[in-house]
Amino acid sequence: MKFARVGAAIAAAAIVVAACGGTANSGKTVKVGITLPLSGSSLASAGPARDGALLAIKEANAAGTVKGYTIEPVIKDHAVNGQYDAQQGAKDMTALVSDPAVVAVVGPFNSAVAKVQIPISNEAGLAQCSPANTNPDLTKGDAGKELRAKQPDKINYVRVATTDDIQGPAVAQYAFQDLGLKNVAIIDDLTVYGKGIADAFTAEFEKLGGKVVGREGADPKTTDFLPILTKFKDLNPDSVFYGGVTANGGGLVRKQMPQAGLGDLPYLGGDGIQDQNGGVQGSFINIAGPAAENSFSSVAAIHDIPDAAAFAEKYTAEYKADPGAYSASGYACMQIFIKALADAAAKGDITREAVRAGVTSGASFDTVLGPVTFDEVGDTSQKIISLYKTDMTAADGKGDWIFDKQIDYGAS
Amino acid sequence: MTAPAASADAPSARSFSSAGLVSVAQLAIVAVLLAGALLWMGPQQFVNALTLGAIYALIAIGYTLVYGIIELINFAHGDVFMVGTFLSLIFLTTLGFNGAITEPGLLALVLAGDFIFTMIALGLIGVLIERVAYRPLRNAPRLAPLITAIGVSFILQNAVQGVPPYFGFGPFNANSPQVFPTDWFVTLGNASIPVLSLFIIVTAVVMMIALQLFIGRTRIGRAMRSTALDRDAAALMGVNINRTIAITFLLGSALAGAAGVTFGLQYGVTNSGLGFNAGLKAFTAAVLGGIGNTVGAALGGFIIGFIEVGAAVAGLNRWSAAIVFGVLVIVLVFRPSGILGQQTGERA
Repeated sequence: MKFARVGAAIAAAAIVVAACGGTANSGKTVKVGITLPLSGSSLASAGPARDGALLAIKEANAAGTVKGYTIEPVIKDHAVNGQYDAQQGAKDMTALVSDPAVVAVVGPFNSAVAKVQIPISNEAGLAQCSPANTNPDLTKGDAGKELRAKQPDKINYVRVATTDDIQGPAVAQYAFQDLGLKNVAIIDDLTVYGKGIADAFTAEFEKLGGKVVGREGADPKTTDFLPILTKFKDLNPDSVFYGGVTANGGGLVRKQMPQAGLGDLPYLGGDGIQDQNGGVQGSFINIAGPAAENSFSSVAAIHDIPDAAAFAEKYTAEYKADPGAYSASGYACMQIFIKALADAAAKGDITREAVRAGVTSGASFDTVLGPVTFDEVGDTSQKIISLYKTDMTAADGKGDWIFDKQIDYGAS
Repeated sequence: MTAPAASADAPSARSFSSAGLVSVAQLAIVAVLLAGALLWMGPQQFVNALTLGAIYALIAIGYTLVYGIIELINFAHGDVFMVGTFLSLIFLTTLGFNGAITEPGLLALVLAGDFIFTMIALGLIGVLIERVAYRPLRNAPRLAPLITAIGVSFILQNAVQGVPPYFGFGPFNANSPQVFPTDWFVTLGNASIPVLSLFIIVTAVVMMIALQLFIGRTRIGRAMRSTALDRDAAALMGVNINRTIAITFLLGSALAGAAGVTFGLQYGVTNSGLGFNAGLKAFTAAVLGGIGNTVGAALGGFIIGFIEVGAAVAGLNRWSAAIVFGVLVIVLVFRPSGILGQQTGERA
């Protein structure tokens, strides 16, 4: 015990010496966690969100936005064998919570991971901003309350993506009104996100007068979708909707549709199948191959960001790649934290509580996505869905998602 | 005491015996069940079930062969199959075949090359695994080789993910070239049956029959049967035990290689985590059919194929895994040694 204290004192002294020896602007260090699935099939979708967040940190450090502090990212990858893993996500969040220097966390990407992370971050009062979670139950209603049971009054989880109760219906409206589809068959991947968006899609599609001719669930680990697709064929759908993510079979279903004689049908999905171009290993278009033609997907975020060209330019300069679907969202999450950190630093000290209170105060944040305010449960004021279509001639013939249009549900 | 006791009950459970299957009554039951399934699910789903079942069956036989001869549950076998899918992928992409080959002669040549390469290469990998990970532990307590099997399973996964230049695929879904055209169909009434599925079923059945003949009719097969029956007695009769066990691993792994090739052709995708799920299902198939019995393993594979597809047909795909394992539990309650495993009084 005594030795430990002496050791700590020496270490602290060493840090002070090191800090004094360093450059003038880098006083103290404050850590921001990034918890995303960053290997395997998940990388194609979550990697760009991480890069967006890191870009924001880099800029803030260079400009000295948070006076007297340097922001240091702590990156945690909760993909296990290439697929996001909720258990690993919980472990990572526990690790972040137990590091007192971590004052905010960007992530996660998948709703199933958020479901296990929110109770942990809520108990610690640690601000968390997801660039991509869309399941409504993470924040709204009794399900949301249950997740923050430890500190119900302290909203700590916010998200810049809007929710599936808006995204699912948006895809349904797009399918029914714009694409003229009337009979859809649905597969979900048995996950929190997949079932949720498929349910939301179904409700709206039926309300509009469309018919859901079949609904099946498929284990995320399965590779054989032919039995389901063969069954669908007898039901004569005019399209197939997949509620789920690429890593769980979003690409494989599309790939196997021609084998089941359904190759001509349009294929629909949410943001779970909207990832990078066909040249990126593990992306939807890469897995589905030529069958990816005539597929449609959405992103629960704004596509035409206010200053798109400027953002794309600096992102490309940094990473030699175009921004992904959630790059700007990752960047925006970090911008919000940086603002909260700067405010807290100006008032004196950066604490977890100061950052959390700053983020959820109801103030409007000026982000790359446009102005963002969080409501009483932490959901964004920006309710915009962007819709995409595959174009197999894009990305030098490898195929890519091409933006079609965006719909703003904010007014309603 | 222990040795004679073991050999007394051993013949029934682990002699690769297929005797007793081919009774007329049993064939009739199978025929009626198949006809019922065909009527219920229609020809296209019937073929889907046979295709999936054939792949499971090829993997399951590897479990059963190894268990039959050294009573080891080779938990690495699912990953051996996974490596097979990658060997096939490497073979095809290295030769520059990335898409469908529509010219029959060339297709036959490429497929033959793919099967031969993958089966031999994977067979040798199987032999290597046995030599390095299992043989030194042959006389150790049974838990020890079980743990090394789990270790081998992880080594294979990580090797595929990270060892360049041949592997190094990372934990990604990798596209496997579907050289067999997936848009060739045979029209049967209003159902269109993929020719690829028929090819897979026929290939698998031919291989299983060949294996059965090999075990039943050749000298090496006889050595395998006698080693399974009583290792010590077989050794005394001049059987080279080490070589016989190595050949068993060679055969099991080669069949997993064939399963890997067919899997790649059928689904066009593979990843390093594939082995777990496939291995679990195939192991279930082997237990369901009666572990130690090769015909039982094949039967178990097809049964699981039919259960999974049947679940989809019934609109219960969401619960397909639960149904598979539910059936396993029910079968084991009434027939603890599996469908074709002979019932023995005392079995550890």
